[in-house]
Amino acid sequence: MTTYIIRRLLLMIPTLLGMTFMLFAVVRFAPGLTTGGGQFSAGIMQSRQAQKQEQAIMERRLHLVDKNGHPISLVMQYILWLKSTCEGHLGTSIVYQEPVLTLIEQRLPVTLTINAIAMAVIYLVSIPGGLITALNQGRLIDRGYGFLSLALYSLPVIWLGSTVLGFLANPQYFNWFPSAGLHSTNTANMTFFRYIADYLYHIVLPIVCSVYGGFAFLSKQIRGSILENLQQDYVRTARAKGLSGTTVLTRHVFRNSLLNLITLTGMSLPGLLGGSVIIEQIFSINGMGRLAYTSTLARDLPVIQDLALVVSVLTLLSYLAVDICYHLADPRVTYG
Amino acid sequence: MADLTMPPIDQPLLYAPRPYWGWVAARLFRPLLVRMCTAYLVMLVLIALFVPLIANGQPYTCVIPATAGHAAARDYPLFRDLSSIDWILLAVAAALAAQGIVIFASRRLARPQRMMRRRISFAIIAGITIITGSLIAALHHNRLDATNYRSLARHGLITHAVFPPVPWGYAEMEPLSKGLINQLPSHRHWLGTDGDGRDELSRLLWGARIAMGVGFVSQIIALVMGIVLGALTGYFGGVFDIIGMRLVEMVESIPTFFLILTFVAIYGRHILDIMVIIGVTGWTGYARLLRAEFFRIRNLDYVLAAQGSGMPLWRVLFKHMLPNGITPVLVSAGFGMAGAVTIEATLSYLGVGVQPPTASWGSMLNSAGNPATVFRWWQALGPGMLIFITVLAFNLIAESLRDAIDPTTMGRR
Repeated sequence: MTTYIIRRLLLMIPTLLGMTFMLFAVVRFAPGLTTGGGQFSAGIMQSRQAQKQEQAIMERRLHLVDKNGHPISLVMQYILWLKSTCEGHLGTSIVYQEPVLTLIEQRLPVTLTINAIAMAVIYLVSIPGGLITALNQGRLIDRGYGFLSLALYSLPVIWLGSTVLGFLANPQYFNWFPSAGLHSTNTANMTFFRYIADYLYHIVLPIVCSVYGGFAFLSKQIRGSILENLQQDYVRTARAKGLSGTTVLTRHVFRNSLLNLITLTGMSLPGLLGGSVIIEQIFSINGMGRLAYTSTLARDLPVIQDLALVVSVLTLLSYLAVDICYHLADPRVTYG
Repeated sequence: MADLTMPPIDQPLLYAPRPYWGWVAARLFRPLLVRMCTAYLVMLVLIALFVPLIANGQPYTCVIPATAGHAAARDYPLFRDLSSIDWILLAVAAALAAQGIVIFASRRLARPQRMMRRRISFAIIAGITIITGSLIAALHHNRLDATNYRSLARHGLITHAVFPPVPWGYAEMEPLSKGLINQLPSHRHWLGTDGDGRDELSRLLWGARIAMGVGFVSQIIALVMGIVLGALTGYFGGVFDIIGMRLVEMVESIPTFFLILTFVAIYGRHILDIMVIIGVTGWTGYARLLRAEFFRIRNLDYVLAAQGSGMPLWRVLFKHMLPNGITPVLVSAGFGMAGAVTIEATLSYLGVGVQPPTASWGSMLNSAGNPATVFRWWQALGPGMLIFITVLAFNLIAESLRDAIDPTTMGRR
């Protein structure tokens, strides 16, 4: 086990290096960055002197020049950037004039909370769904559920999101739900439970829009693994020794099928972070996705670069955690 | 004692042996729903290819009446003003039709002759298409003609004008003075107009070209990258495999939509950029699948025989191994097409996709108003439904293909 973890960590190093180099190169070769002074002044009119100074600071910050103003080679630039990143000095946003780390600290909890709730809802529907369809394989309920979940998966979030918002959170039609944000304005004088209720009321529509597409994949996988487990020898043994159908199902088949869920959970993590861009933009929630989107529009390259970096490191770590969990949960799995 | 010998080889078989792909196709297209989806997608591709002839503000042909000093003359405004992309797509359509005719005409020939004929005709047609395509592209031409032919026809300045079925271009605005913006469906505009006074139906049809174009081109790029990388890593293993898989992990570690946003932010929002970006961020799944298949196949006897007979590597890889490992990749490509259509629509909806006035279903959804204040749902209905049905059709076909090649469902009808 320890050997396995060490090997996985060692294999992560080239991936991380390659990924950071890709991000570095993508941003460094962006047209109009390395020389553009106007890029950094964010549209504010400045004197020529101030502009020059700012550009010098910016070039220094991006490791384009050394202390004496001499240009640095590309590889050295990458190494310096990597060094300062490893030391925890992420970039500074051009638009917000704040360190990217601060921005991420503010927004990561928002996105993670919503995604955690969304994932819980997806599992609460998909596990029974997969179980029922597996037990009724080929019958009407199986086909109906399969088609319905595939149709939901195909339904574009941008359409359903804007339609739901347009009908249910719009004074023109039904003003039932808040149209933006996560909290009412007067959160300061709310009791704790009132606060939670207010939060839940605000995230109803975003959660609905972020879960409905997730049922298809997960139920299909659970259905597949239950069907596979039903044909195993141990099920026949369990039946032969006189266990009831329910016991076989819950204690033997279902528990073994849940093992696959660990892998699936890990695989769906990056998708949830990526999908939140659309949800957060439609429902005006200030999370990671919206930050990525607004900085894309403003060409706020330090934010884009560091955001991608942080998210991808999180993703790699979650893949590793999933593999280790799988190993702990199923002692049969060996990594020779 | 039962006769266990094989029947003599010259004895005719009771049924014709079916090649694998014919068998897969028969199973794939058995459900009515899949046939309907295929028909819908074929229709969408035809619309994408021929849309300048279906929805356009210029007449196919008209006559400019005789005036003092000028004789009456016949004019072809629509064909005169086709852009080079239009011409190239028309050439592609003609090539596809020609190849289809050859395939149909050679269907009763024996297999060697049939394949030979199809290959030769494919080479000739592809050659002609590439040459004419690049010639047309060299004589680059954008749509320039902004003449209002409908008004000319109404005032008798042109006669015998034959307009396309939807007589509006995708960027043609009703003049502001008429107040014909955000119209409900009417006789003049069958699906109403958008906030700029442009015809919704025409824009929906033109949007099909963007959606299909992005879907096909991006997935072809992704497939080529994924197949080459997956084949090499799966066949050679070892160091190749380690490096290739690190490359896959590198791209996969960044959530797709984040990666696409990063690329779009930096490398521009031209439609070709978007195709390439969706392609180069979407190949990892194909590489993984093909690698796994090649691991399984590479030690089978027929591959060893192919290697032993001294075939060049590319022939072993792509002619002998690929057809036996491609099916999971094809299933995945079906889902990939659906994903590409969604991603393009989403990018355009967020305003970082194709640039106006190009019609895309996503940007049409966006122009249906800010949902929290003024929401014109009838404008969102058309593009929303089209994205939904297109994505659903691709997903259904992919799922049906997965069932068709799944050995565990073999016996069931």
